[in-house]
Amino acid sequence: MSLSPASGIGRFYKHSAKIIRFVRLGCTNRPFYHIVVMERRKNQHQPVIEQVGSYDPMPNENNERLVALNTERIRFWLGKGAHMSEPAAELLGISGLLPVHPRTYMTAWRNRKAAAEAAALAEAEGSQKAAETA
Amino acid sequence: MSLFRHIRKLNALQNVRQLSSAGLKSSTLQYATDPQPQFTDAETQQLLQSMTQLQLDKVFRKRTVPDNSVHTQFMTTAQLEKEFLQTIEKAQQLLQMPPVVKIKEDTERIISKDPALKDFATTKYVFTDITFGLPQSERKVVVRDVDGTLSYATLDITKRMNQLYFPLDGRKFYTPRMFSDEQLFQRCLDEHKYEFILDRLTVQYEPYEAEFHNISAKVFEHLNESKQFDQLRSTRHFGPMAFFYAWHRCIDDLLYDMIRRDYLLNAVQLIALSYKIHKVPLDYQATLRQLEELQPSPAVKALAELRSGLRQHQAKGIENEIQTAIGKTETDFQADEISLRFIEQYIGSEHALKKVQLELAVQTLKELNLEKQQLYEGLKKAHGVQQQAS
Repeated sequence: MSLSPASGIGRFYKHSAKIIRFVRLGCTNRPFYHIVVMERRKNQHQPVIEQVGSYDPMPNENNERLVALNTERIRFWLGKGAHMSEPAAELLGISGLLPVHPRTYMTAWRNRKAAAEAAALAEAEGSQKAAETA
Repeated sequence: MSLFRHIRKLNALQNVRQLSSAGLKSSTLQYATDPQPQFTDAETQQLLQSMTQLQLDKVFRKRTVPDNSVHTQFMTTAQLEKEFLQTIEKAQQLLQMPPVVKIKEDTERIISKDPALKDFATTKYVFTDITFGLPQSERKVVVRDVDGTLSYATLDITKRMNQLYFPLDGRKFYTPRMFSDEQLFQRCLDEHKYEFILDRLTVQYEPYEAEFHNISAKVFEHLNESKQFDQLRSTRHFGPMAFFYAWHRCIDDLLYDMIRRDYLLNAVQLIALSYKIHKVPLDYQATLRQLEELQPSPAVKALAELRSGLRQHQAKGIENEIQTAIGKTETDFQADEISLRFIEQYIGSEHALKKVQLELAVQTLKELNLEKQQLYEGLKKAHGVQQQAS
Protein backbone atom coordinates (compact mmCIF):
# COMPACT_ATOMS: atom_id res chain seq x y z
CA MET A 1 0.00 0.00 0.00
CA SER A 2 1.60 3.25 -1.11
CA LEU A 3 1.02 6.63 0.53
CA SER A 4 -1.28 9.02 -1.26
CA PRO A 5 0.56 12.32 -1.76
CA ALA A 6 -0.78 15.37 0.11
CA SER A 7 -1.20 17.45 -3.04
CA GLY A 8 -3.27 14.62 -4.47
CA ILE A 9 -3.13 12.89 -7.82
CA GLY A 10 -6.69 11.62 -7.77
CA ARG A 11 -8.61 12.31 -10.96
CA PHE A 12 -12.18 13.41 -10.53
CA TYR A 13 -15.21 14.54 -12.48
CA LYS A 14 -16.32 18.12 -12.04
CA HIS A 15 -19.80 17.28 -10.80
CA SER A 16 -19.10 13.97 -9.05
CA ALA A 17 -19.83 13.67 -5.31
CA LYS A 18 -16.77 14.53 -3.19
CA ILE A 19 -16.34 13.52 0.42
CA ILE A 20 -14.12 14.58 3.32
CA ARG A 21 -13.15 11.36 5.04
CA PHE A 22 -10.44 9.46 6.86
CA VAL A 23 -7.88 7.20 5.21
CA ARG A 24 -6.50 4.62 7.58
CA LEU A 25 -2.71 4.53 7.47
CA GLY A 26 -0.34 3.36 10.14
CA CYS A 27 -0.18 -0.40 10.66
CA THR A 28 -1.72 -3.25 12.59
CA ASN A 29 -2.75 -2.14 16.08
CA ARG A 30 -1.44 1.37 15.41
CA PRO A 31 -4.02 3.39 13.50
CA PHE A 32 -3.20 6.77 12.01
CA TYR A 33 -5.54 8.68 9.76
CA HIS A 34 -5.18 11.19 6.97
CA ILE A 35 -8.15 13.47 6.48
CA VAL A 36 -8.62 13.73 2.74
CA VAL A 37 -10.96 14.92 0.03
CA MET A 38 -11.79 12.29 -2.59
CA GLU A 39 -14.56 11.10 -4.85
CA ARG A 40 -17.28 9.47 -2.78
CA ARG A 41 -17.53 6.35 -4.87
CA LYS A 42 -13.84 5.49 -4.53
CA ASN A 43 -12.06 3.12 -2.16
CA GLN A 44 -10.10 4.84 0.65
CA HIS A 45 -6.73 3.65 -0.64
CA GLN A 46 -7.20 5.01 -4.12
CA PRO A 47 -5.52 8.31 -5.07
CA VAL A 48 -7.06 11.32 -3.29
CA ILE A 49 -7.85 14.79 -4.58
CA GLU A 50 -6.23 16.54 -1.65
CA GLN A 51 -5.08 15.84 1.89
CA VAL A 52 -6.50 18.38 4.32
CA GLY A 53 -5.32 17.10 7.68
CA SER A 54 -4.25 14.24 9.89
CA TYR A 55 -5.58 12.57 13.02
CA ASP A 56 -3.67 10.47 15.51
CA PRO A 57 -6.24 8.57 17.61
CA MET A 58 -3.68 7.23 20.09
CA PRO A 59 -2.95 9.62 23.01
CA ASN A 60 0.62 10.87 23.16
CA GLU A 61 2.87 11.11 26.24
CA ASN A 62 1.02 14.23 27.41
CA ASN A 63 -2.31 12.40 27.05
CA GLU A 64 -3.50 14.42 24.06
CA ARG A 65 -4.89 13.30 20.73
CA LEU A 66 -3.40 15.39 17.97
CA VAL A 67 -5.42 16.63 15.02
CA ALA A 68 -4.18 18.84 12.21
CA LEU A 69 -6.72 20.56 10.01
CA ASN A 70 -6.14 22.71 6.96
CA THR A 71 -9.17 24.84 7.74
CA GLU A 72 -8.84 27.00 4.66
CA ARG A 73 -9.09 24.04 2.28
CA ILE A 74 -11.76 22.29 4.36
CA ARG A 75 -13.95 25.37 4.16
CA PHE A 76 -13.29 25.57 0.43
CA TRP A 77 -14.40 22.00 -0.18
CA LEU A 78 -17.44 22.32 2.11
CA GLY A 79 -18.37 25.41 0.12
CA LYS A 80 -18.08 23.34 -3.04
CA GLY A 81 -20.66 20.98 -1.57
CA ALA A 82 -18.39 18.16 -0.43
CA HIS A 83 -19.99 15.56 1.86
CA MET A 84 -18.51 14.42 5.16
CA SER A 85 -18.14 10.93 6.54
CA GLU A 86 -19.54 10.58 10.04
CA PRO A 87 -16.20 10.27 11.91
CA ALA A 88 -14.83 13.26 10.01
CA ALA A 89 -17.97 15.31 10.79
CA GLU A 90 -17.67 14.38 14.46
CA LEU A 91 -14.03 15.47 14.55
CA LEU A 92 -14.79 18.78 12.84
CA GLY A 93 -17.62 19.30 15.32
CA ILE A 94 -15.32 18.74 18.27
CA SER A 95 -12.77 21.14 16.79
CA GLY A 96 -15.30 23.97 16.81
CA LEU A 97 -15.16 24.47 13.06
CA LEU A 98 -18.71 23.10 12.64
CA PRO A 99 -21.57 22.62 15.14
CA VAL A 100 -21.03 19.63 17.43
CA HIS A 101 -22.30 16.42 15.83
CA PRO A 102 -25.34 14.78 17.57
CA ARG A 103 -23.45 11.49 17.78
CA THR A 104 -20.81 13.15 19.98
CA TYR A 105 -23.52 14.18 22.43
CA MET A 106 -24.83 10.61 22.35
CA THR A 107 -21.41 9.17 23.11
CA ALA A 108 -20.89 11.66 25.92
CA TRP A 109 -24.27 10.85 27.47
CA ARG A 110 -23.67 7.08 27.21
CA ASN A 111 -20.20 7.41 28.73
CA ARG A 112 -21.55 9.44 31.64
CA LYS A 113 -24.36 6.91 32.18
CA ALA A 114 -21.94 3.98 32.12
CA ALA A 115 -19.64 5.76 34.58
CA ALA A 116 -22.53 6.52 36.95
CA GLU A 117 -23.70 2.91 36.81
CA ALA A 118 -20.19 1.64 37.49
CA ALA A 119 -19.86 4.02 40.44
CA ALA A 120 -23.20 2.93 41.87
CA LEU A 121 -22.22 -0.72 41.50
CA ALA A 122 -18.88 -0.14 43.22
CA GLU A 123 -20.63 1.66 46.07
CA ALA A 124 -23.16 -1.14 46.48
CA GLU A 125 -20.37 -3.73 46.59
CA GLY A 126 -18.48 -1.63 49.11
CA SER A 127 -21.47 -1.39 51.44
CA GLN A 128 -22.13 -5.14 51.07
CA LYS A 129 -18.55 -5.93 52.10
CA ALA A 130 -18.82 -3.56 55.05
CA ALA A 131 -22.02 -5.34 56.13
CA GLU A 132 -20.32 -8.77 55.86
CA THR A 133 -17.33 -7.76 58.01
CA ALA A 134 -19.55 -6.14 60.66
CA MET B 1 16.79 1.87 16.44
CA SER B 2 19.01 1.25 19.45
CA LEU B 3 20.27 4.83 19.17
CA PHE B 4 16.72 6.15 19.33
CA ARG B 5 16.04 3.99 22.31
CA HIS B 6 19.15 5.35 24.00
CA ILE B 7 18.10 8.98 23.37
CA ARG B 8 14.63 8.20 24.68
CA LYS B 9 16.13 6.75 27.81
CA LEU B 10 18.29 9.82 28.35
CA ASN B 11 15.26 12.06 27.98
CA ALA B 12 13.25 9.97 30.38
CA LEU B 13 16.12 10.34 32.82
CA GLN B 14 16.00 14.07 32.28
CA ASN B 15 12.30 14.14 33.10
CA VAL B 16 12.98 12.38 36.37
CA ARG B 17 15.70 14.88 37.19
CA GLN B 18 13.49 17.77 36.19
CA LEU B 19 10.87 16.61 38.61
CA SER B 20 13.44 16.45 41.38
CA SER B 21 15.10 19.83 40.74
CA ALA B 22 12.36 21.56 38.69
CA GLY B 23 14.81 22.69 35.98
CA LEU B 24 17.14 25.62 36.43
CA LYS B 25 16.72 27.91 39.39
CA SER B 26 15.52 31.37 38.50
CA SER B 27 18.06 34.16 38.27
CA THR B 28 18.24 37.08 40.68
CA LEU B 29 18.08 39.92 38.14
CA GLN B 30 14.89 40.30 36.13
CA TYR B 31 13.32 43.10 34.12
CA ALA B 32 10.71 44.59 36.42
CA THR B 33 8.99 46.65 33.72
CA ASP B 34 8.67 46.16 29.97
CA PRO B 35 12.15 46.82 28.47
CA GLN B 36 10.95 46.70 24.88
CA PRO B 37 10.22 50.43 24.27
CA GLN B 38 13.66 51.36 25.62
CA PHE B 39 15.40 48.63 23.64
CA THR B 40 13.79 49.23 20.24
CA ASP B 41 14.27 52.97 20.50
CA ALA B 42 16.35 54.17 17.51
CA GLU B 43 18.95 55.92 19.63
CA THR B 44 19.45 52.90 21.90
CA GLN B 45 19.79 50.63 18.89
CA GLN B 46 22.39 52.89 17.38
CA LEU B 47 24.35 53.00 20.65
CA LEU B 48 24.20 49.23 21.02
CA GLN B 49 25.26 48.58 17.44
CA SER B 50 28.17 50.94 17.80
CA MET B 51 29.20 49.27 21.06
CA THR B 52 29.03 45.84 19.46
CA GLN B 53 31.63 46.93 16.87
CA LEU B 54 32.12 45.20 13.55
CA GLN B 55 35.25 43.08 13.42
CA LEU B 56 35.02 41.25 10.13
CA ASP B 57 37.50 38.59 11.24
CA LYS B 58 35.23 37.70 14.10
CA VAL B 59 31.92 37.89 12.23
CA PHE B 60 33.14 35.66 9.42
CA ARG B 61 35.31 33.39 11.53
CA LYS B 62 35.33 29.64 11.01
CA ARG B 63 32.44 28.02 12.76
CA THR B 64 31.64 24.49 13.72
CA VAL B 65 29.38 23.93 10.72
CA PRO B 66 29.71 21.28 8.01
CA ASP B 67 30.53 23.78 5.26
CA ASN B 68 33.33 26.29 5.91
CA SER B 69 34.47 26.36 2.30
CA VAL B 70 36.18 29.40 0.75
CA HIS B 71 35.33 30.60 -2.73
CA THR B 72 38.15 32.22 -4.75
CA GLN B 73 37.52 34.38 -7.78
CA PHE B 74 39.25 37.01 -9.96
CA MET B 75 37.52 40.39 -9.93
CA THR B 76 37.91 43.90 -11.27
CA THR B 77 38.22 46.79 -8.83
CA ALA B 78 34.60 47.82 -9.40
CA GLN B 79 33.36 44.30 -8.73
CA LEU B 80 35.51 44.14 -5.63
CA GLU B 81 34.07 47.40 -4.35
CA LYS B 82 30.55 46.01 -4.81
CA GLU B 83 31.56 42.83 -3.02
CA PHE B 84 32.93 44.89 -0.10
CA LEU B 85 29.63 46.70 0.33
CA GLN B 86 27.73 43.41 0.22
CA THR B 87 30.10 41.93 2.79
CA ILE B 88 29.45 44.79 5.20
CA GLU B 89 25.72 44.43 4.71
CA LYS B 90 25.89 40.71 5.36
CA ALA B 91 27.99 41.26 8.47
CA GLN B 92 25.43 43.73 9.79
CA GLN B 93 22.71 41.17 9.15
CA LEU B 94 24.67 38.56 11.08
CA LEU B 95 24.95 41.00 13.99
CA GLN B 96 21.18 41.54 14.30
CA MET B 97 20.42 41.51 18.01
CA PRO B 98 17.78 39.21 19.49
CA PRO B 99 15.15 41.56 20.93
CA VAL B 100 14.70 42.20 24.63
CA VAL B 101 10.97 42.08 25.34
CA LYS B 102 8.90 41.37 28.41
CA ILE B 103 7.76 37.88 29.33
CA LYS B 104 4.46 36.95 27.71
CA GLU B 105 1.87 35.92 30.25
CA ASP B 106 -0.26 32.87 29.59
CA THR B 107 -3.93 33.88 29.62
CA GLU B 108 -6.78 31.42 29.51
CA ARG B 109 -9.06 32.15 26.57
CA ILE B 110 -12.18 30.00 26.49
CA ILE B 111 -14.15 29.81 23.25
CA SER B 112 -17.13 27.79 24.45
CA LYS B 113 -18.26 25.70 27.38
CA ASP B 114 -20.52 22.75 26.68
CA PRO B 115 -21.43 20.70 29.78
CA ALA B 116 -23.46 18.28 27.62
CA LEU B 117 -20.16 17.15 26.07
CA LYS B 118 -18.68 16.04 29.40
CA ASP B 119 -16.85 12.69 29.13
CA PHE B 120 -17.21 12.49 25.35
CA ALA B 121 -13.69 11.03 25.25
CA THR B 122 -11.07 9.87 27.70
CA THR B 123 -8.39 12.37 26.64
CA LYS B 124 -8.35 15.90 25.38
CA TYR B 125 -8.02 16.77 21.69
CA VAL B 126 -5.54 19.33 20.35
CA PHE B 127 -6.44 20.86 16.97
CA THR B 128 -3.83 22.71 14.96
CA ASP B 129 -4.63 24.83 11.94
CA ILE B 130 -2.16 23.84 9.23
CA THR B 131 -3.35 26.34 6.63
CA PHE B 132 -0.54 27.00 4.15
CA GLY B 133 1.59 30.12 4.53
CA LEU B 134 0.61 31.35 8.00
CA PRO B 135 3.37 32.70 10.27
CA GLN B 136 3.88 30.78 13.50
CA SER B 137 2.48 33.60 15.61
CA GLU B 138 -0.85 33.55 13.78
CA ARG B 139 -1.36 29.81 13.72
CA LYS B 140 -4.42 28.85 15.79
CA VAL B 141 -4.20 25.93 18.16
CA VAL B 142 -7.32 25.00 20.12
CA VAL B 143 -7.94 22.37 22.76
CA ARG B 144 -11.16 20.49 23.48
CA ASP B 145 -10.97 19.33 27.07
CA VAL B 146 -12.62 16.18 28.44
CA ASP B 147 -15.29 18.31 30.17
CA GLY B 148 -16.33 19.81 26.81
CA THR B 149 -14.58 23.18 27.12
CA LEU B 150 -13.14 24.51 23.89
CA SER B 151 -10.30 26.99 24.47
CA TYR B 152 -7.15 28.35 22.85
CA ALA B 153 -4.10 26.30 23.74
CA THR B 154 -1.53 27.51 26.25
CA LEU B 155 1.72 28.98 24.92
CA ASP B 156 3.50 25.78 25.82
CA ILE B 157 1.19 23.58 23.75
CA THR B 158 1.13 26.08 20.88
CA LYS B 159 4.91 26.04 20.69
CA ARG B 160 4.97 22.24 20.81
CA MET B 161 2.43 21.92 18.00
CA ASN B 162 4.21 24.51 15.87
CA GLN B 163 7.45 22.61 16.28
CA LEU B 164 5.69 19.34 15.47
CA TYR B 165 3.96 20.38 12.26
CA PHE B 166 6.37 23.12 11.12
CA PRO B 167 9.76 22.29 12.66
CA LEU B 168 12.36 25.05 12.93
CA ASP B 169 15.92 24.18 12.05
CA GLY B 170 17.97 23.41 15.15
CA ARG B 171 15.13 23.70 17.64
CA LYS B 172 14.57 20.54 19.63
CA PHE B 173 11.19 19.06 20.47
CA TYR B 174 12.40 18.37 24.01
CA THR B 175 14.35 20.74 26.25
CA PRO B 176 18.08 20.31 25.55
CA ARG B 177 19.71 18.74 28.56
CA MET B 178 22.12 21.61 29.03
CA PHE B 179 19.11 23.87 29.75
CA SER B 180 17.32 21.48 32.06
CA ASP B 181 20.20 20.08 34.09
CA GLU B 182 21.72 22.53 36.55
CA GLN B 183 25.07 20.76 36.59
CA LEU B 184 25.46 20.64 32.81
CA PHE B 185 24.52 24.29 32.52
CA GLN B 186 27.01 25.23 35.21
CA ARG B 187 29.70 23.30 33.36
CA CYS B 188 29.01 25.27 30.18
CA LEU B 189 29.34 28.49 32.15
CA ASP B 190 32.52 27.40 33.90
CA GLU B 191 34.08 26.59 30.56
CA HIS B 192 33.12 30.11 29.39
CA LYS B 193 31.08 28.88 26.43
CA TYR B 194 28.89 31.96 26.56
CA GLU B 195 28.32 32.41 22.86
CA PHE B 196 27.43 28.75 22.42
CA ILE B 197 24.85 28.94 25.21
CA LEU B 198 23.33 32.17 23.93
CA ASP B 199 23.19 30.95 20.34
CA ARG B 200 21.46 27.78 21.35
CA LEU B 201 19.15 29.71 23.64
CA THR B 202 18.07 31.97 20.78
CA VAL B 203 17.31 28.94 18.63
CA GLN B 204 15.48 26.98 21.30
CA TYR B 205 13.38 29.70 22.93
CA GLU B 206 11.43 32.73 21.82
CA PRO B 207 12.52 36.07 23.33
CA TYR B 208 9.21 36.43 25.22
CA GLU B 209 9.59 33.16 27.10
CA ALA B 210 10.48 33.06 30.78
CA GLU B 211 13.29 30.55 30.15
CA PHE B 212 14.91 32.90 27.66
CA HIS B 213 15.03 35.69 30.23
CA ASN B 214 16.14 33.41 33.02
CA ILE B 215 19.00 31.72 31.17
CA SER B 216 20.29 34.84 29.44
CA ALA B 217 20.28 36.70 32.78
CA LYS B 218 22.29 33.88 34.33
CA VAL B 219 24.82 33.97 31.50
CA PHE B 220 25.22 37.75 31.75
CA GLU B 221 25.64 37.58 35.50
CA HIS B 222 28.31 34.92 35.18
CA LEU B 223 29.98 36.96 32.47
CA ASN B 224 30.02 39.99 34.74
CA GLU B 225 31.94 37.98 37.29
CA SER B 226 34.38 36.28 34.91
CA LYS B 227 34.81 39.55 32.95
CA GLN B 228 35.40 37.89 29.59
CA PHE B 229 33.35 40.47 27.71
CA ASP B 230 35.65 40.26 24.71
CA GLN B 231 34.19 36.86 23.85
CA LEU B 232 30.88 38.45 22.97
CA ARG B 233 32.26 41.57 21.30
CA SER B 234 31.24 41.68 17.64
CA THR B 235 28.60 38.99 18.09
CA ARG B 236 24.85 39.48 18.14
CA HIS B 237 24.66 39.05 21.90
CA PHE B 238 26.82 42.02 22.92
CA GLY B 239 23.98 44.54 22.55
CA PRO B 240 21.49 42.72 24.80
CA MET B 241 24.31 42.14 27.30
CA ALA B 242 25.23 45.84 27.48
CA PHE B 243 21.53 46.69 27.73
CA PHE B 244 21.13 44.21 30.58
CA TYR B 245 24.00 45.76 32.55
CA ALA B 246 22.81 49.30 31.89
CA TRP B 247 19.28 48.39 32.99
CA HIS B 248 20.43 46.73 36.21
CA ARG B 249 22.99 49.44 37.04
CA CYS B 250 26.07 47.23 36.92
CA ILE B 251 28.02 48.65 33.99
CA ASP B 252 31.24 49.26 35.92
CA ASP B 253 33.01 46.00 35.06
CA LEU B 254 32.17 46.31 31.38
CA LEU B 255 33.24 49.96 31.49
CA TYR B 256 36.56 49.01 33.06
CA ASP B 257 37.11 46.41 30.35
CA MET B 258 36.35 48.96 27.63
CA ILE B 259 38.73 51.54 29.08
CA ARG B 260 41.48 48.95 29.50
CA ARG B 261 41.13 47.91 25.86
CA ASP B 262 41.10 51.57 24.76
CA TYR B 263 37.53 51.54 23.39
CA LEU B 264 36.79 54.95 24.86
CA LEU B 265 33.99 55.78 22.42
CA ASN B 266 32.19 52.61 23.49
CA ALA B 267 32.71 53.49 27.14
CA VAL B 268 31.09 56.88 26.57
CA GLN B 269 28.21 55.21 24.73
CA LEU B 270 27.70 52.74 27.56
CA ILE B 271 27.51 55.54 30.12
CA ALA B 272 25.15 57.48 27.83
CA LEU B 273 22.94 54.39 27.52
CA SER B 274 22.70 53.98 31.26
CA TYR B 275 21.91 57.72 31.63
CA LYS B 276 19.22 57.35 28.98
CA ILE B 277 17.60 54.30 30.55
CA HIS B 278 17.55 55.75 34.05
CA LYS B 279 16.63 59.25 32.82
CA VAL B 280 19.59 60.98 34.47
CA PRO B 281 19.33 64.71 33.75
CA LEU B 282 22.71 65.06 32.07
CA ASP B 283 23.41 66.21 28.55
CA TYR B 284 25.24 63.31 26.93
CA GLN B 285 24.00 63.95 23.42
CA ALA B 286 26.35 66.86 22.76
CA THR B 287 29.38 64.73 23.68
CA LEU B 288 28.14 61.86 21.54
CA ARG B 289 27.62 64.15 18.57
CA GLN B 290 31.13 65.56 18.92
CA LEU B 291 32.61 62.09 19.09
CA GLU B 292 30.61 60.85 16.11
CA GLU B 293 31.99 63.65 14.01
CA LEU B 294 35.54 62.76 14.99
CA GLN B 295 35.29 58.97 14.75
CA PRO B 296 33.69 56.87 12.00
CA SER B 297 30.92 54.35 12.67
CA PRO B 298 31.87 50.64 12.90
CA ALA B 299 30.56 49.90 9.39
CA VAL B 300 32.62 52.70 7.86
CA LYS B 301 35.66 51.55 9.80
CA ALA B 302 35.25 47.98 8.57
CA LEU B 303 34.82 49.16 4.99
CA ALA B 304 37.99 51.25 5.26
CA GLU B 305 39.80 48.20 6.59
CA LEU B 306 38.65 46.17 3.59
CA ARG B 307 39.68 48.90 1.15
CA SER B 308 43.08 49.33 2.78
CA GLY B 309 44.01 45.93 1.36
CA LEU B 310 43.49 47.32 -2.14
CA ARG B 311 45.69 50.38 -2.11
CA GLN B 312 48.94 48.75 -1.11
CA HIS B 313 50.60 49.54 -4.42
CA GLN B 314 49.97 53.26 -4.01
CA ALA B 315 52.67 55.35 -2.40
CA LYS B 316 51.81 56.26 1.17
CA GLY B 317 52.58 59.61 2.68
CA ILE B 318 54.99 59.71 5.58
CA GLU B 319 52.20 60.99 7.81
CA ASN B 320 50.17 57.89 7.09
CA GLU B 321 53.08 55.71 7.99
CA ILE B 322 53.56 57.44 11.32
CA GLN B 323 49.85 57.04 12.07
CA THR B 324 49.86 53.33 11.33
CA ALA B 325 53.00 52.86 13.43
CA ILE B 326 51.42 54.54 16.45
CA GLY B 327 47.87 53.38 15.77
CA LYS B 328 46.21 56.74 16.37
CA THR B 329 45.60 59.89 14.40
CA GLU B 330 45.30 63.45 15.56
CA THR B 331 41.49 63.29 15.57
CA ASP B 332 41.72 60.15 17.70
CA PHE B 333 43.69 62.07 20.33
CA GLN B 334 41.06 64.81 20.28
CA ALA B 335 38.24 62.29 20.61
CA ASP B 336 40.06 60.57 23.47
CA GLU B 337 40.32 63.84 25.32
CA ILE B 338 36.58 64.50 25.05
CA SER B 339 35.70 60.93 26.03
CA LEU B 340 38.04 60.93 29.01
CA ARG B 341 36.47 64.14 30.27
CA PHE B 342 33.01 62.53 30.05
CA ILE B 343 34.15 59.30 31.69
CA GLU B 344 35.83 61.16 34.55
CA GLN B 345 32.62 63.08 35.11
CA TYR B 346 30.81 59.74 35.40
CA ILE B 347 33.39 58.34 37.81
CA GLY B 348 33.03 61.45 39.95
CA SER B 349 29.24 61.11 40.09
CA GLU B 350 27.26 58.94 42.48
CA HIS B 351 26.37 56.45 39.67
CA ALA B 352 29.81 54.81 39.58
CA LEU B 353 30.30 51.94 42.02
CA LYS B 354 33.92 50.85 41.46
CA LYS B 355 35.49 54.29 41.48
CA VAL B 356 39.05 53.41 42.49
CA GLN B 357 39.44 50.74 39.85
CA LEU B 358 38.03 52.94 37.11
CA GLU B 359 40.16 55.91 38.14
CA LEU B 360 43.28 53.78 37.97
CA ALA B 361 42.37 52.51 34.52
CA VAL B 362 41.74 56.04 33.28
CA GLN B 363 45.04 57.22 34.76
CA THR B 364 46.98 54.43 33.05
CA LEU B 365 45.31 55.14 29.76
CA LYS B 366 46.04 58.84 30.06
CA GLU B 367 49.75 58.19 30.61
CA LEU B 368 49.87 55.83 27.66
CA ASN B 369 48.07 58.33 25.46
CA LEU B 370 50.44 61.10 26.53
CA GLU B 371 53.44 58.97 25.60
CA LYS B 372 51.93 58.13 22.24
CA GLN B 373 51.11 61.73 21.54
CA GLN B 374 54.63 62.85 22.40
CA LEU B 375 56.05 60.18 20.14
CA TYR B 376 53.64 61.16 17.38
CA GLU B 377 54.59 64.79 17.54
CA GLY B 378 58.30 63.99 17.81
CA LEU B 379 58.16 61.77 14.74
CA LYS B 380 56.23 64.37 12.80
CA LYS B 381 58.77 67.01 13.67
CA ALA B 382 61.65 64.72 12.77
CA HIS B 383 60.17 64.02 9.34
CA GLY B 384 59.29 67.65 8.79
CA VAL B 385 55.58 66.97 8.33
CA GLN B 386 54.44 70.01 10.24
CA GLN B 387 56.08 72.42 7.82
CA GLN B 388 54.32 70.70 4.93
CA ALA B 389 50.97 70.91 6.57
CA SER B 390 51.19 74.57 7.53
